Amino acid sequence: MGKRKLKTQATETTNLKRKKSKKEVVLESIVKSDAPVERQTKWTNKQRALIFSSRGISYRTRHLMLDLRTLMPHSKAEPKMDRKDKLFIINEVCEMKNCNKCIYFEGKKKQDVYLWVSNVPKGPSAKFLVENIHTMSELKLTGNCLRGSRPLLSFDKNFDSEPHWQLLKELFIQTFGTPNHHPKSQPFTDHIFTFSIEDNRIWFRNYQILEEEDGSLAEIGPRFVLNPIRIFAGSFGGATLYQNPHYISPNDYRRALKRQKADKYSLKVEAKEAAKMRKPEVSYALDPTDLVFNTVSQEDFQKKK
Amino acid sequence: MNPLIDSDSDEEIQEALAAGTIKPGLVVEEQKRDFINNREGIKQKIKEFSLSNLRWIERLDLSSKPALSGESASNGQEEGQSENDDFNREMRFYQQAQASVLLGLKKLAELSVSTKRPEDYFAEMAKSDAHMKKVKSKLLEKKMSLERSEKVKKMRELRKYGKKVQQEVLQQRQKEKKAMLDSVKKFRKGQVDKIDILDETIERQPKQKQAQQMKNGQFRPNKKREFKNKKFGFGGQKKRSKYNTAESAADVSEFSAKKAHGKNPVNSSKMKSKNKRPGKARRNNMRNRGKK
Repeated sequence: MGKRKLKTQATETTNLKRKKSKKEVVLESIVKSDAPVERQTKWTNKQRALIFSSRGISYRTRHLMLDLRTLMPHSKAEPKMDRKDKLFIINEVCEMKNCNKCIYFEGKKKQDVYLWVSNVPKGPSAKFLVENIHTMSELKLTGNCLRGSRPLLSFDKNFDSEPHWQLLKELFIQTFGTPNHHPKSQPFTDHIFTFSIEDNRIWFRNYQILEEEDGSLAEIGPRFVLNPIRIFAGSFGGATLYQNPHYISPNDYRRALKRQKADKYSLKVEAKEAAKMRKPEVSYALDPTDLVFNTVSQEDFQKKK
Repeated sequence: MNPLIDSDSDEEIQEALAAGTIKPGLVVEEQKRDFINNREGIKQKIKEFSLSNLRWIERLDLSSKPALSGESASNGQEEGQSENDDFNREMRFYQQAQASVLLGLKKLAELSVSTKRPEDYFAEMAKSDAHMKKVKSKLLEKKMSLERSEKVKKMRELRKYGKKVQQEVLQQRQKEKKAMLDSVKKFRKGQVDKIDILDETIERQPKQKQAQQMKNGQFRPNKKREFKNKKFGFGGQKKRSKYNTAESAADVSEFSAKKAHGKNPVNSSKMKSKNKRPGKARRNNMRNRGKK
């Protein structure tokens, strides 16, 4: 038994070696001196992500964007875009920057943050509302990792349940995953991006791998929650493939809150008015002519005296 | 078909109510919004742009079980336990990441890709050293403050405990003292023959006479009793014991001529001089006079 096992192992290793040797560039026996040297290119999955934002994002969003840039060595930067520019311009910007993925932060009303993740020339793209942002510079997040090391991408099992989640998963893998052998990347794996679905939202976490044996972790940050709004077939536009029925726009939410407050006041006023109406001015309807029969007695007279 | 819209007749509404097609209360037509979910289109799109033909090492994606998904759904609905839920949710993310790490590192090891950074490999980190210093100091501060508060708490508890112990000791002492005094008293009275005082046992030595008497079956009471017995009598009939008998009536040994009938002048004068207090009526009169 033992012998056979050993044998199989040995054959496997030889197979591996053969495979490796297949990929490696083997110089020919005779090479001309002026021929260009053929280099082995290990970097096959050439994803480049453009990370930038519109004008009018909050400081917190800006920090989040910078954090993503530091964590993703395959990212490129771009000055903030004017608010008035149309979104499809981004496609051209990406083309100019030679990027095929785009992460675009859009600030609205100085408080709401939307995030576009797009596969640039052909789509799809998805728009999210970003909630609960915590940046990497928060002191309670104690982990640290190499700048540009490749993260593992951990996905919740729920990502395989529905087609739209599957699409988002594929999009995230291509966007957030650092390509193998990227020139700026580090050759070690020391952190993990976690995407989980909870409450119809995608929760993002980034952990440092402390111990490889038991898998103990420390959070590096950033944290944010992505509430999907729509998925488009094209990049920054096109036909809608999916629309989130659970999504409530922050404007609607705020309006509801305001209305609740307004209701509180109007109800109070109404109650006051009603109380006023209920309360009679005269406690008992007396007949004034009854007073005619009131006679003054001797006692009353003396009392008055 | 909604009967409310269709007709106004009460009968029809009553029938519908009985049939259960409508329910009591205000009938508001729900506005149904159509949400697009083009499953086929999405699947087509995934096929178009997916890079699943790449090897796993290029993608590094892992799919892990969400820990306790059923519980998460129920927790999400309960708003009251939001604090607790926050913690549980983070725990779930952590567990998911942990499971993925264990799986992923195994896969990487199989592909013979190094995951661990050697000790002497220095490179720029995602967070700067200055920042990490801050983090460390913050952690330390937190730890210190925790320790301090714990210490204070402990001290407070100790003080409380000490007070209690002291009280108990005092009470115990009091009790012992009382017991000792009691036993001494009993010993003195003769109720007990043996006492322990200051680690010594003191035993009463029985008097020989008494012992003998005890042996003989005769019991002799103490002096006080004896005297009382003599004075008031002991045993026998007490009735009629004070009646005069012929003998007692005839006994004149106590008669003294000097004392009899107040004939002794010396004695009578003495008596008079002794009685200085006036009578009651007189005293009252004197009092009244003084008042006025």
